[in-house]
Amino acid sequence: MGFQQKQHGNNGFEIANQAGAARTGTLQVGDTELETPNLFPVVNFYAGGTSSSLYGGGIHRTMKEFMNGDEVINGGDYSEYFDGVMTSVASLTDYGITKERYEEYIDTPIKERDLFDFDGVLFVDSGGFKFLGDKTLDGSDFEVDVDQRAIIDIQRKLGADLVLNLDRPIEPDDDYETRVQKARMTAQNVDQFLELTNRQKQTRYLTLHGYNYSMLNTFLTEIEKVIGKDRVHREFDGVALGSLVPLKDNKGKLITAVSDCREVLNDWGFDDLPLHILGISSSAIPLLAAVGADTFDSSSYLHAAINGKYHTSLYNTEPLDDVDFSNCDCPVCSDDKLVNWMKGDAEYQKDKLGAVSMHNLIIQKEEIRRVREAINKSGTDGLIEYFEQSLSRHKSMQQHAHRVVNDSLGGYF
Amino acid sequence: MSTTKTPQVNEVNEFLEIASDFEDPLEVIRESLSNSYDAGATEVEITIRDRPIGSEIVIEDNGEGMDYADLESFFDLGNSTKRDPSSDAIGYKGHGTKIFYKSEEVLVNTSKEGTNLRAQMEQPWEKLNNRVMPEYEVRERSVKEGNSGTHIRITGFKSGRGFSPSSLTYNKIEHYLKWKTLAGSTAHYFTDDYHEMDVYITLGDEIDDTQGTLKLNNKLEFPDEQIEPGEGNFPESRMCKHYPPRELTVETDDGDTATIEIVGMIGGKDARNELPTYGKHSAQFGIWLAKDYIKVERVNEVISHDNEFLHFFFVANCQDIELSANREKIRNKSSAIYQAIKEELSHYLSKIASDPWFKDYLNQRRKAKLSRRAKSQQSSVEDREKQIHDRERFVPSNDAEVVLGLERSNRNGVLPEIVVEDYDPDVEVNALVRQDGSLYASSIHHKLTDHFGADKPLEAVDKIICWSYGDPDELSELERHGYHGGDIAFDLNAGRIEYQNGRKHNIHIVSVEQRF
Ligand SMILES: [Zn+2]
Repeated sequence: MGFQQKQHGNNGFEIANQAGAARTGTLQVGDTELETPNLFPVVNFYAGGTSSSLYGGGIHRTMKEFMNGDEVINGGDYSEYFDGVMTSVASLTDYGITKERYEEYIDTPIKERDLFDFDGVLFVDSGGFKFLGDKTLDGSDFEVDVDQRAIIDIQRKLGADLVLNLDRPIEPDDDYETRVQKARMTAQNVDQFLELTNRQKQTRYLTLHGYNYSMLNTFLTEIEKVIGKDRVHREFDGVALGSLVPLKDNKGKLITAVSDCREVLNDWGFDDLPLHILGISSSAIPLLAAVGADTFDSSSYLHAAINGKYHTSLYNTEPLDDVDFSNCDCPVCSDDKLVNWMKGDAEYQKDKLGAVSMHNLIIQKEEIRRVREAINKSGTDGLIEYFEQSLSRHKSMQQHAHRVVNDSLGGYF
Repeated sequence: MSTTKTPQVNEVNEFLEIASDFEDPLEVIRESLSNSYDAGATEVEITIRDRPIGSEIVIEDNGEGMDYADLESFFDLGNSTKRDPSSDAIGYKGHGTKIFYKSEEVLVNTSKEGTNLRAQMEQPWEKLNNRVMPEYEVRERSVKEGNSGTHIRITGFKSGRGFSPSSLTYNKIEHYLKWKTLAGSTAHYFTDDYHEMDVYITLGDEIDDTQGTLKLNNKLEFPDEQIEPGEGNFPESRMCKHYPPRELTVETDDGDTATIEIVGMIGGKDARNELPTYGKHSAQFGIWLAKDYIKVERVNEVISHDNEFLHFFFVANCQDIELSANREKIRNKSSAIYQAIKEELSHYLSKIASDPWFKDYLNQRRKAKLSRRAKSQQSSVEDREKQIHDRERFVPSNDAEVVLGLERSNRNGVLPEIVVEDYDPDVEVNALVRQDGSLYASSIHHKLTDHFGADKPLEAVDKIICWSYGDPDELSELERHGYHGGDIAFDLNAGRIEYQNGRKHNIHIVSVEQRF
């Protein structure tokens, strides 16, 4: 297996170790290196993100204070948990902001803003998932027609390191004709995306949509018809598998989608490209990493906190009121001020839940670090042992862990 | 030299209670085998006779024999027969030789390091029941060094009802020994202490004269592996995979730990039949918990429901389970450690059940079932072909074939032409037919009587199309009793039903048979 090493600008992906279909590697984006498998926390830079903004920011603002290591969160250094973050262009369309506000927001690239001390990888999605369920990606509030061109403009202005084409996700009920139609619309966007972006400046990921090998193969075939074989094979730095959110509670289907995706990529000669899984996080991560996923994005750390849930592991949460914070030695739970916040002694609810979010994110990042370590042990034993100690001890997850061990890691016997 | 000894006991009553559990002379053998093994024997011979004075059981081994202290221990009701609590000896904490007291005489003749001891205890059971502690008399003499061993004769063992030695057979004893005693031990898979021991069983001719002495060893062995499916109608039936010995460690929340030593196989019916049997397959397969490497009780609940336990045969040994006096039951089932053991087993078995080989095995089984079904379909096709050859002309056997028959009669030029324009077998008026340019709501049935059997209304129907009329008496009964509250009359010659329920309604009957 050859390495896609720094052929284009400073971008590339180098595989370090493999355990079955799982692998560790280094994703180089500009000057930043990201170890994989890894997790991009989803951060909303808009909400509470400008110097004057206090509106709607809430928990997002507290998260950014953690990113910065601001005095208000007691000045701790949390930057290692933000080695890569994802933000969505849809975070703009969601807030119904005005043209003025919009222009102010995209005025300065995120990493160059005075407010932020962030130097990780900035992954900006295309907001395509907003098309799901008859919704639209609507920029009318800020008077922008949202199309591929507009999305790229936003991505560029935000200073994205890693970008996705605008896509049309599929839904479980879509019939064949609908899926092909969506693939063709995505293909048109991909064509434009390649014209309008520069691989020297941005790492480009191609979105894929499908739940199994045949669907993904059909999707790629449609893309190839529009943009030509050479470009499919040469122009992308990675691929991002989307449309999985409706399946998020069905781990069996998720595993099938990701392992089939890996297989399709191998058959199409994309085996060296890193594979990002859009919108899936939490307990599925180790299973999907074991079948060949390289990166994930997570907003579940935030959602759990907003719902009053404190992660005791990647697989378990406790209601915030029941938590014994002394059981966790993460920097949040080791900080008296932040523990008091989490216990409810905070001026703003956002600070209480923000601290819980930060803790939740640390739990997720630590777990994916353990997955990396397990893959890096020689052979498949490390990862099998990892599952033995973790997911396969959970009744609801056991069968999935066994499946992955059997399908991807050589089995138990 | 001769001395008289009284065993130490202050637990007579307790013992009498426990002893009521021991009813089966086979349990005497089970305990004896364990004792002989612990004495380092490499051979043990057991003879059972059904004498007029009662049953006689003789156990003879070439173990290290007993000295005075061993004998004392052997006859001691209060304690175990084993002196060293740290040893892994099987009888330790068991009830061992106490079971021998349930007899008319116990005679022990044992040689150890050049000394032979002969100990005799008379009427132990009767004495115990009279609350008298039985004594035993020991005589000592010198023998040649190196001729060690023990010979025990138990006379008049008090078998429980239904456990008389006369009901024993070689077959029964072999299977009992392989399932419930050290003869079916899994120790050889796990411990370095294991040594081989041959077991010879002889039953008196008055019990079973169908064969000579039976020879067994002291290890459970699995049928040979066969990973690939076989030939024939049941290709999976000899498939067999071994799951090698594994040690699993268990820890409770309180920090108690235990080790489970598990070994086993999955196999089809033919493979399983190569194992000794212990009743029906349903009574014997699954997951056995064992202590001292001897199976005690099954815990099939550790196999998930969708995996039938019948395919599995695993023995999970754990020294931390506690047994009832007769070793048939586990006593500490409510303990945390027992729960933890079950959880760990459940986890381990879930991995076995996820083994692709097992899935393949189940798949072979399913495929074989399908192919057997296909074969029976094939033979049903052949049967039907024969019926076609045998009959002289077309005869429908269901409603749809009546439709085909009607169409065929049209092709043959029979008039009037009646064409089925619409047929939906799931609705009451199941056909619309065209005759002379008009459409008629129709009910098509194999027999005319079927329409009424299906309790269908008549009001909406213009025609009933049938192959034949069916049972004329059934039609007569309908005329007698009426139908759906109205009067009905069949005029079969005119091909007409007159039905009067409020208003008069005529229904045309078409007999397809008559169009041929
Ligand atoms: Zn914490």
